[in-house]
Amino acid sequence: MAGQVKMTAIASRQSKPVGGAPSTAGTAPAQVVTIKQTVVLSQRWKGSRNLFPALIFLGLFFFAPLIGLLLRGVLEPTPGLGNYEQLFANSAYARVLFNTFSVAGLVTLFSLLLGFPLAWAITLVPRGWGRWMLNIVLLSMWTSLLARTYSWLVLLQASGVINKTLMAMGIIDQPLEMVHNLTGVVIGMSYIMIPFIVLPLQATMAAIDPMVLQAGSICGASPWTNFFKVFLPLCRSGLFSGGLMVFVMSLGYYVTPALLGGAQDMMLPEFIVQQVQSFLNWGLASAAAALLIAITLVLFYFYLKLQPESPVGANNTR
Amino acid sequence: MSAVIKDVAQQPQTLVCLRNLNKHYGDFAAVDNISLDIQDGEFLTFLGSSGSGKSTTLSMLAGFETPSSGEILVSGKSLVNVPPHKRDIGMVFQRYSLFPHLSVRDNIAFPLAIRKLAAAERNKRVDAMLKLVQLDQFAHRRPSQLSGGQQQRVAIARALVYEPRILLMDEPLGALDKKLREDLQDELRQLHRRLGITIVYVTHDQEEAMRLSQRIAIFSHGKIVGLGSGYDLYQNPPNAFVASFLGNSNFLRLKAQGNAVATFEGQLLSIRLTAGLQTGQDTLLMIRPEKAQALSVEQAAAQPLQTGWNEVSAKVGEVLFLGESQTCAVLTQGGTAMTVKALSAAGMPLKTGEQVRVRWATADACVYTQWAESDLNKAAGAH
Repeated sequence: MAGQVKMTAIASRQSKPVGGAPSTAGTAPAQVVTIKQTVVLSQRWKGSRNLFPALIFLGLFFFAPLIGLLLRGVLEPTPGLGNYEQLFANSAYARVLFNTFSVAGLVTLFSLLLGFPLAWAITLVPRGWGRWMLNIVLLSMWTSLLARTYSWLVLLQASGVINKTLMAMGIIDQPLEMVHNLTGVVIGMSYIMIPFIVLPLQATMAAIDPMVLQAGSICGASPWTNFFKVFLPLCRSGLFSGGLMVFVMSLGYYVTPALLGGAQDMMLPEFIVQQVQSFLNWGLASAAAALLIAITLVLFYFYLKLQPESPVGANNTR
Repeated sequence: MSAVIKDVAQQPQTLVCLRNLNKHYGDFAAVDNISLDIQDGEFLTFLGSSGSGKSTTLSMLAGFETPSSGEILVSGKSLVNVPPHKRDIGMVFQRYSLFPHLSVRDNIAFPLAIRKLAAAERNKRVDAMLKLVQLDQFAHRRPSQLSGGQQQRVAIARALVYEPRILLMDEPLGALDKKLREDLQDELRQLHRRLGITIVYVTHDQEEAMRLSQRIAIFSHGKIVGLGSGYDLYQNPPNAFVASFLGNSNFLRLKAQGNAVATFEGQLLSIRLTAGLQTGQDTLLMIRPEKAQALSVEQAAAQPLQTGWNEVSAKVGEVLFLGESQTCAVLTQGGTAMTVKALSAAGMPLKTGEQVRVRWATADACVYTQWAESDLNKAAGAH
C-alpha cells in the first residue's frame, strides 16, 4: 500500500515534463496507468548507458561472428534453405541427428541414475566426509578431459582391463565391443557428466529441511512413500537443472565422442568438424551448428517454463 | 482451571507410559531413567532449558530416536520397535516442516492420501480441518505464501486430520512473535478442550507452559525434577531447582533449631513444620517475591507483626517500576539479597538507602533441607 502511494507520488512528479499529462491525469485513469508504466520502465532502464562498453564488446566479438555463421548456413553455397533441407532429407545426416539425440538422452539418463545416489550420499554422510567426496568429484572434473577419455579407452578396448578380467573369470568367451561405438561414447560421457548432475543436485538436497522428511514419516508415510512423495519432488529443481545442463552439453560434446566413438556412428559436433575440415562445406556445417543452437534455445525455454519456483529455496528463507 | 484438573483426576486413565527410559550418546545421558505416566486426554508440557532432555524424550515418543533402554507403552503396547509411520501419532514441529511443494490443502490431505482414504471422505475431512484452523480461503496457497502463524496452523491441521490418539508439539510457537504466540496459545487450549486429544507439548517458556497445560513436567539434566499442575509447582516447588527455575525466588540460608524454628543471621524465624529437622542443620528457605512485603520503619511501627509472620530488617538497594508491578531489591544486615514485589496499585513508597522491614507469612515460605548450589542459579538446568 505504502509502495503504491509512493509510486503515484513519483508518477505525478515525473509526469510534469512529459507535457499536458498532469491536466488529464485526473480525468483519465487509463492514461495514469500508462504514465506509471513508462515511469517504471524509465526507472528500470536508468543507468543502462553504463552497459554500452560491455554491449559493444559482446556485439563485436560474440553476436557479429555468430550472425556471420548463421548467415553462412543460408547463403552458402547458394542462398536459400537448401542446407537445412539436405540436413533432414539425407538419411546419413538424419542418422547423425538421431545419434546425437539418443546419445545425449542416454547420457542424461545414466548420469542422473548414477549422480542421484552419489549426491544423496554426499548429503547424508557426516560433514567432513561429504566435503571429501565432493572434492573427489570436483577433482575428477578438473583433471584433463583428454586424459580421462584416453583412460576409458584403455579400460574399455578389446585387450583392456575390463575385457581381460571378464574373460579370465569365464563370463565371456570373446572381448565385448565397448569402444569405437556408441556404447563407448555413452559410457565415457556419462562418467564425464556426473559432476554436472551432482553439484546442483547436492545443493538442492542440502537445502531440504530433514525435518520435512520426519514430518512425512510421522504423517504415516513409509520410507518408500516418503521418498517418492516428499523427497523426490523436493529434488525436482536440482534434477531439472542438472539434467538440462547435461543434455545440452552432451549435444555439443566433441572430444569424447571423437575418441571413443566409431567413424560410422557420428554425432553432430563431429559432423560439423568433418564438413569444415574435410569437405570445406561451410554452409552445411553452419546449418548444423545453427540447429544445435536452436535446439538448445528451445530446451532452455522449456526449462524456464517448467522450472518450478524453487520450493526448497522459499522454505529456507524462514 | 481447577475444575479441569479435578476432571482428569477423577478418571486417571493412563494412555502413555514411559518406563525407565534412557537415551545415551556415548557417555552422555541425554535422557536419564525417566518414568512418566501420561493420562488420556490431558495436556502435558515438558518444560526445561535447552539440552535438558525434553526434546529427546519427545523424539523417542515420535520414534525418531530409539531409546538406549527402557520401555514406551501406549495403551499397554510397546512402541519401541514400531517405526514412526506406524505409530499413529501426530506431531507439530518447531519450524512447521510443511511440504513446500504442496498447497495448503494438499499438505493437510497428505496423511489421508497416504492412508488411501476415498476422495470424498478426504475432501470432507480436509474441509473440516481448514475450517477448524480458519484457513478456508488460503487452501490453494503454497506454505511459503503464508505467514508464520498461518503456517503453524496448517501444521496443526495436518497433524490432527488423521485423528491421532496423541499429538506431540515441539516448541511449535517458538518462532512466532509474542502477540501471535498468545493468540495461538488460546486457540490451542480451546482446540484441546474441544477435541479431547492427548497433547504432549515441549517448550522452554514457563509462561506458555502455565498458560496451556494441565500438568507440567520440569526437565533438568535428563531427569524429570518436578511434575504437577502449574499452580502446585509454583506455590509449593518440590525442590530448590524447581523453585529457582519457575518464576523468581528469594533463598535464605537458615540453621534449624527444632522442627519449626530456625535462625537466620542470628535471628529466630518461624518456619513451616518440617519433620526430621535436626538442630543446627543447614536449611534453605524460599520466599516468592510477591509473597513478601517491604514496610518502611514507620509503617512497621504502625502495623504490629501478626502471628504466623516473620520479619527481618534490611536496606533498600533499588526500586524498579515495571508497569503493573514494582520490585524492590533489598539487602539484609547479613548481606543476603532479597527481592520484594508488589502490585503498582498497592504502592511501595521506598527510596534507595532506606531501612525497611521485610515480612512474610510462615506458611508461604518453603523449606528445603537438600539442595545443590547450582540449583539456585537461574540458568542451570542444561548440561
